[in-house]
Amino acid sequence: MMQRAKPLGENIAEEPPRKAIITEDKAPKLTMRQRRRIKNSIIHLVLIFLSFIFIFPFLWMLFTALKTPAELLRGVEKFFPENPQWTNFRTAVTAVPFMMYLKNSLILVGFGVAGTLFSATLSAYAFAKLRWPGRDTLFVIMLATMMIPPQVILIPSYILYAQIGWLGTRLPLIVPYFFGGGAAFYIFLLRQFFKGIPKELTESAIVDGAGHGKIFFYIMLPLTKPALITVALITFMFIWNDYFGPLIFLSNPDHWTLALGLRGFQTQFSGRFDLMMAAAILVMMPTIILFFIAQKYFIEGITFTGIKG
Amino acid sequence: MMKKLILLSLLLVAGFTLAACGEKEDIGDRTEINFWNISPVGSESYSGMRRIIRDFNESQDAYFVRSTGINFWDYWDRVNVAIASGNAPDVALHTIDNVVLRASNGALYNITELIEADIAAGRETIAVENYLENQLDVAAYDGNLYALPFSATTRVLYYNLDLFEEAGLSETDVPTTWSELHTVAKQLDDVSGNTINVLGFDPSFGEGTYKQFLWQSGLDYFDEDFNVTLDTPEHLEILEWMYDFNSEYSRSALDAFGEANEMLGINPFAAGNLGMMIASDGLYETLRPLGDSMRYGVAPIPLPDENGVRVNWGSGFSIEMYDNGDEARKQGAWEFMKYLMTYEVQQDMAEVLGWLMSSIPAMTDYAEGNPILEAFIEELNYAVDKVYVPYAPNWHAVDWDQYFEEGLRGAMTAEEVLQAAISNYIQKRENYEAAN
Amino acid sequence: MAKKKKHTNSLQQMRKQERRLGYIFASPWLLGLVIFGAFPILASFYLSFTSYNMVGVPRFIGTTNYQALFFNDNLFWKSLWNTLYHVFLSVPLGLIVGIMLALLLNSKIRGIGIYRTLFYLPNVVSIVAMSLLWLWLFQPNFGLINQVLSPFYNLLNMEPLGWYRDSNISKLTLVLMGLWTAGGSMIIYLAQMQDIPKDYYEAAQIDGANGLQQIIKITLPLMTPSIFFNFIMGIIVGFQVFTVAYIMTGGGPGRSTYYFGYYLFDKMIQDNNMGQASAMAWVLLVVTLVITLLALTLNKYVFYLGEQD
Repeated sequence: MMQRAKPLGENIAEEPPRKAIITEDKAPKLTMRQRRRIKNSIIHLVLIFLSFIFIFPFLWMLFTALKTPAELLRGVEKFFPENPQWTNFRTAVTAVPFMMYLKNSLILVGFGVAGTLFSATLSAYAFAKLRWPGRDTLFVIMLATMMIPPQVILIPSYILYAQIGWLGTRLPLIVPYFFGGGAAFYIFLLRQFFKGIPKELTESAIVDGAGHGKIFFYIMLPLTKPALITVALITFMFIWNDYFGPLIFLSNPDHWTLALGLRGFQTQFSGRFDLMMAAAILVMMPTIILFFIAQKYFIEGITFTGIKG
Repeated sequence: MMKKLILLSLLLVAGFTLAACGEKEDIGDRTEINFWNISPVGSESYSGMRRIIRDFNESQDAYFVRSTGINFWDYWDRVNVAIASGNAPDVALHTIDNVVLRASNGALYNITELIEADIAAGRETIAVENYLENQLDVAAYDGNLYALPFSATTRVLYYNLDLFEEAGLSETDVPTTWSELHTVAKQLDDVSGNTINVLGFDPSFGEGTYKQFLWQSGLDYFDEDFNVTLDTPEHLEILEWMYDFNSEYSRSALDAFGEANEMLGINPFAAGNLGMMIASDGLYETLRPLGDSMRYGVAPIPLPDENGVRVNWGSGFSIEMYDNGDEARKQGAWEFMKYLMTYEVQQDMAEVLGWLMSSIPAMTDYAEGNPILEAFIEELNYAVDKVYVPYAPNWHAVDWDQYFEEGLRGAMTAEEVLQAAISNYIQKRENYEAAN
Repeated sequence: MAKKKKHTNSLQQMRKQERRLGYIFASPWLLGLVIFGAFPILASFYLSFTSYNMVGVPRFIGTTNYQALFFNDNLFWKSLWNTLYHVFLSVPLGLIVGIMLALLLNSKIRGIGIYRTLFYLPNVVSIVAMSLLWLWLFQPNFGLINQVLSPFYNLLNMEPLGWYRDSNISKLTLVLMGLWTAGGSMIIYLAQMQDIPKDYYEAAQIDGANGLQQIIKITLPLMTPSIFFNFIMGIIVGFQVFTVAYIMTGGGPGRSTYYFGYYLFDKMIQDNNMGQASAMAWVLLVVTLVITLLALTLNKYVFYLGEQD
């Protein structure tokens, strides 16, 4: 049973009062600052140890990208390449229409993030803050859409798009996002966050005569910025790395994205693993950079020193 | 606020219309033919493939072939979804061993009819005698050809000459029977403690596979009516031979040997850790970057000591024409197929793709002077492809491997493995016949 | 009396308006469900009652597929059991690790941004690289984990664990491998933690609560919306488990990691049996739905600030 977290005065008062000030007759064990330093050092140590393990796959990718094809086969140096082939990165970029793929990826990602933010926030608000008949049933149906393995939907979806004439265009990979396609995850997430906005804030707005539209736009969205950033980031990552959607639905090779186009390095026998890894690293970079930027917002936090007027 | 929304929606509409447009080059009056293949942009065969197709387009002005290359691993999802939804391309590569599936469901054009029409009209056409008989059998349904073989793959025994010489052996010691194989392999083994540094041979590594050894003994998994025939003493004996080959080593040592190479993404033979390996001609392509730094040779797969049949597991890609109901495109596709099957293009393709193509006269000449390629061409005469079993299309892969591997790790005896595999096939057959 | 009537009228009006607004806000998603979702989903349901090899035309055969699966298919029950086992193992572990990671990475030490990015890397790195990491760590003979644990093995006089080669602990091993992508749930927790009003912590500190007490009494309760989210999503995603086994174990050893989703995939791709694959998909949907509905009842323990007085 979770305890309701009231402002803490009451709970702590039940325990024997602890003196915050160190009295003279007790020998001081550790000062606050020393204690914090030790705690931080321990945290650093744990993080460094774990980071090494977490960074291993990336290091392997980097070393593979820098090997020669013969080195790939023999694995003579085992891990480290002898003569780092930095030119592999250039080859990866020039052997394929990199800029065209990049443009296509950006198009899909731009529309995808915009569409998802649009449809997911609206739907989440409906599920979180509004009462309407069928809401709870539809909520469960929404969750249920995530319970079907996508492979069995694939062929009927393809037929659907063929029937409405969208094959040969990018539309199957753009339009559904504006209608909550694949957004069940985000809708649920945002619903949780919207429900977490303190009631005082929404109620005072209602008293002031604000309708739900205004509440949604001027209170909900700004106050859940970290969640919105998270949704944007995850959507970006998913669409940026998605090769399967483009593989099936982009019949025009001029529309191919980075994720799909760079799989061209994988062949049946002579896999240019080195080029593949170089390309993969380049494609990974935007996501890593975006994440690094985004997580900065997860330090500031929000202070409610009073209720907004 | 409202202004921002209006602007945003206008941008979106503009974006949609932009995204909906497809830009394509103008091809005039020509009929467009769609060709799907496994040479995507970025692969080494891409520019060669493009050139071959451009030559076709420039050599005539009735048809224009538009080619799409997709990488090998993703190709099958794409082409099978397209076929399933009735949006297949005009010509595409596929696997020859399940042509029957597509032919029997009316997805393919009848090639025999096209050939006969050409002969009746006095036009040049495909010479079926250029292909391997086994491949023609596999690509036929109800007495007619429904696809042409595109590539021809065979399996041979690769041996590492450097390792041979280190063990005091020479090329004359390359084994020709199963007992010789075992003796030579043991001489090549190099073990320190519980770690295997060099392994001579293992029947479960590479592309040996149980069916290979069965066929060499005149046996098989099924009879012509697709009844399972796995429960004879001979079948058991061969399976036990496979399991016992390296039984002096612990399973964990053998696994570690395989995974140490896998972890670095390398083939154990290419890495110089495996003395002999049964593999396809594809390994030759893989080994090419090594140049002279690895001395190796190929030989026919060793035979059972007595009553051995010279046979190897062959496979290959097919090239097929999908029935889209459009007569003009059908003719164009056929002209394109015939072009791809000409002597010069076949040799060109072999060079571009690094595959053995299906037109044997072209390949025989192509291989001249290269002893390894010549050995492949020779073995192709004995290559036999898997039969398509409708109730268990993957009888040779998942349906078999899941039990075979239990025997490898010692969780089941060879006899139990066979019994379990048999009852699985029987169950699958029951379910298939109930539904069809 | 007249005043009261007016009051009730406007309340009714407000309720009616809220009902309408609910549909309006949810309309993009509702439209998407009807336009893009209905046909593929209903088609897959229909296909489960047909014999369909994806080349010919589907032929209606009634419940034959379901009968075959329930009564004449050993792997159906085994794979279902494997998946259930996986869900009940991975969900609690995933929650614990995700929360601990988030608490750890919420520290305000220097360079925390870099650490967070490193821990998120596995979600971005290619699955090929990740599987190499797992081989490097979990390989029974030369993997890092068994090397680190060898003193313990010697001490307890036991054989080194076989990890993914041991049919008894293979599922556990795959769950542990999956924990490398805990970074995904971590950012959601971090986002939630930014929405916790700082006033609460300040008040607690004034009352003398130490760090651990603050976490237990403030952070965790106020994180329950996202914990609940990851709990439900963990269940839904857990039932779909497939890729990690496909890459690492091929479903073995002894079919111990042959999950329901994997068998479904094989039915479709290996057996060309779309009818049975669709039937399996709907069985999976029902099972997931039942467990999820049970899990949703725990919503009453979740603490939403937007619903407190």
